[in-house]
Amino acid sequence: MNRYQLAIQVDDKQVVLERILQVTRYRGFLIDGITAKVNTGTHIGYIELLVRSDRPIELLVDQINKLIDIKEVKLTNRAS
Amino acid sequence: MAKEKQHTGSSLLFDILEQHGVQHVFGYPGGAIMPIYDALYDSDVQHFLCRHEQGAAFSAVGYARASGKVGVCFATSGPGATNLITGLADALADSIPIVAITGQVPTAAMGSDAFQEIDIFGLSLACTKHSFQVTDINELPKVLHEAFAIALEGRQGPVLVDIPKDIQLAEITNSLENFSKLKNKVKLPPANVGSAIALLSQAKQPVLYVGGGVGMANAVPELRDFAQLTCLPSVSTLKGLGAVDPNDENYLGMLGMHGTKAANLAVQECDLLIAVGARFDDRVTGKLDEFAPNAKIIHFDIDTAEINKRRLANVAILGDLKINLPALAIPLEIENWQQKCQQMKIDCAWDYNHPGETIFAPAVLKEISDQMPENTCVTTDVGQHQMWAAQHMSFDDPSDWLTSGGMGTMGFGLPAAIGAQISRPNDCVITVTGDGSFMMNVQELSTIKRFQVPVKIVLIDNGKLGMVRQWQELFFAGRLSETDLSDNPDFVMLATAFNIKAREITKKSEVSEAIKEMIDHEGPYLLQVKINAEDNVWPLVPPNTGNDKMMEST
Repeated sequence: MNRYQLAIQVDDKQVVLERILQVTRYRGFLIDGITAKVNTGTHIGYIELLVRSDRPIELLVDQINKLIDIKEVKLTNRAS
Repeated sequence: MAKEKQHTGSSLLFDILEQHGVQHVFGYPGGAIMPIYDALYDSDVQHFLCRHEQGAAFSAVGYARASGKVGVCFATSGPGATNLITGLADALADSIPIVAITGQVPTAAMGSDAFQEIDIFGLSLACTKHSFQVTDINELPKVLHEAFAIALEGRQGPVLVDIPKDIQLAEITNSLENFSKLKNKVKLPPANVGSAIALLSQAKQPVLYVGGGVGMANAVPELRDFAQLTCLPSVSTLKGLGAVDPNDENYLGMLGMHGTKAANLAVQECDLLIAVGARFDDRVTGKLDEFAPNAKIIHFDIDTAEINKRRLANVAILGDLKINLPALAIPLEIENWQQKCQQMKIDCAWDYNHPGETIFAPAVLKEISDQMPENTCVTTDVGQHQMWAAQHMSFDDPSDWLTSGGMGTMGFGLPAAIGAQISRPNDCVITVTGDGSFMMNVQELSTIKRFQVPVKIVLIDNGKLGMVRQWQELFFAGRLSETDLSDNPDFVMLATAFNIKAREITKKSEVSEAIKEMIDHEGPYLLQVKINAEDNVWPLVPPNTGNDKMMEST
């Protein structure tokens, strides 16, 4: 399985973290690690996700990007 | 600046619904949504009481699909809300814009396992495009405007708004300004038209593969112009039916598991497949590795996530089909290929000769298609009758053909037809159903009775769960497990109990006249068509098999 690191910027809305976790699981990616924080001044949240899967990471990036409260998804590390 | 007005959350809801052009809603009241139903009393919005929340959700879906407007449904908290879920899932799978409003227990009681409390917000994550739970009355107007904007923006879909009872009762002064600008829209890369034109002009055997996205994008005229100018042989998905002119000589019909042999063979042999608003669904591709094995792919879509999801695209063209399709419309020199495809179409034309006196369902559906008035809207349920309808009926527009494609939801047809009829009161609406599917939302006959919705119901009755029985016969050694429905109720008597005129036919000689009687009847009508329980849907691509290996009979 390939391992990837994603940096996700979100609007700080209800359940945004839950949405990302649901999409990640449903699309066939296992989560190895997660850190999340919110800047209360800007109402922007930052989530770092370590995932692994045999599937291409672009499939997950595109699906997370489709979520309404997502500002940006970046693939920061493509380790295997 | 719009005029400010004093509201409760509930009265504000109706003002905003009206602001978005909503005239009709489908729903079912209950404890946690009572303030909204109280405000309905003073509203100009017309409410259709369905007899199950799933019926309300499907009527909203049918309304949206037949009219192009957003469908709206209401349900109370707990079981009311969970009953909507199948309809939301159906709308998500087929990209249908609906807004579902659910009542919720008061905010102070939330999270306490209160009476009729369920976390519908959590449950909605996997079955909606987006969802909201309003816990501050001041957020309500923004949320409602956003719900409509999200339902319609880009790839359309269902949105759920969960409103606790105290928010429904809370007071707010609102200017009714629409501030629905979505800030996180996915930015689409510019279309690589040059590469696509190069592929298209080099192709010797190209095929146009048309999906439901064409209708959703209101791009039927652009698609037809494109097909006419390029003279491309074309095939359609189940949901795409009606987009291509059914009389186009280069149109080969539906592809996939129950597609025409001509459509499937043309796709298998093509060297370029131009997918337009289609997503390489497993019912279309058969065994994915063997699908269109020699083809390069040009993929038109509005949804970035569909590109390369199941089949790598050589060129992706993202964005509005109304703009992107004309950019690729160039005349092609593919006469030999066109002729080959046209010959395949002739060679595999449907044969309606059927021995004996028993009724042949494909011939019935062909006859209905020939007799039905212009602008008739047809809905179906799911199973054999659905595939026969897709194969043997013709539609002038995708909004005239409402079938549960992605989710394949039995019970869709009747409530969807009610929604379609309410959105298009002057058009004929026919639902083609089976004896299995019909019973799944049969309570909606009561909705038909109450509002005298003149829906025509064609019940193809083989006393079986026909499609599952067909698979058991073909792929499970004839072990017919739980597919016998020979103890169905008397459907004519059942319809009559709801004051719906009904008739049963059993012989071929009755078909033509019975269809005429049904269509000419002003009110609702049920035509029960008894067919042979052993009739199968052909052709059929067996599971995990390439589309060139179709079974045509046993």
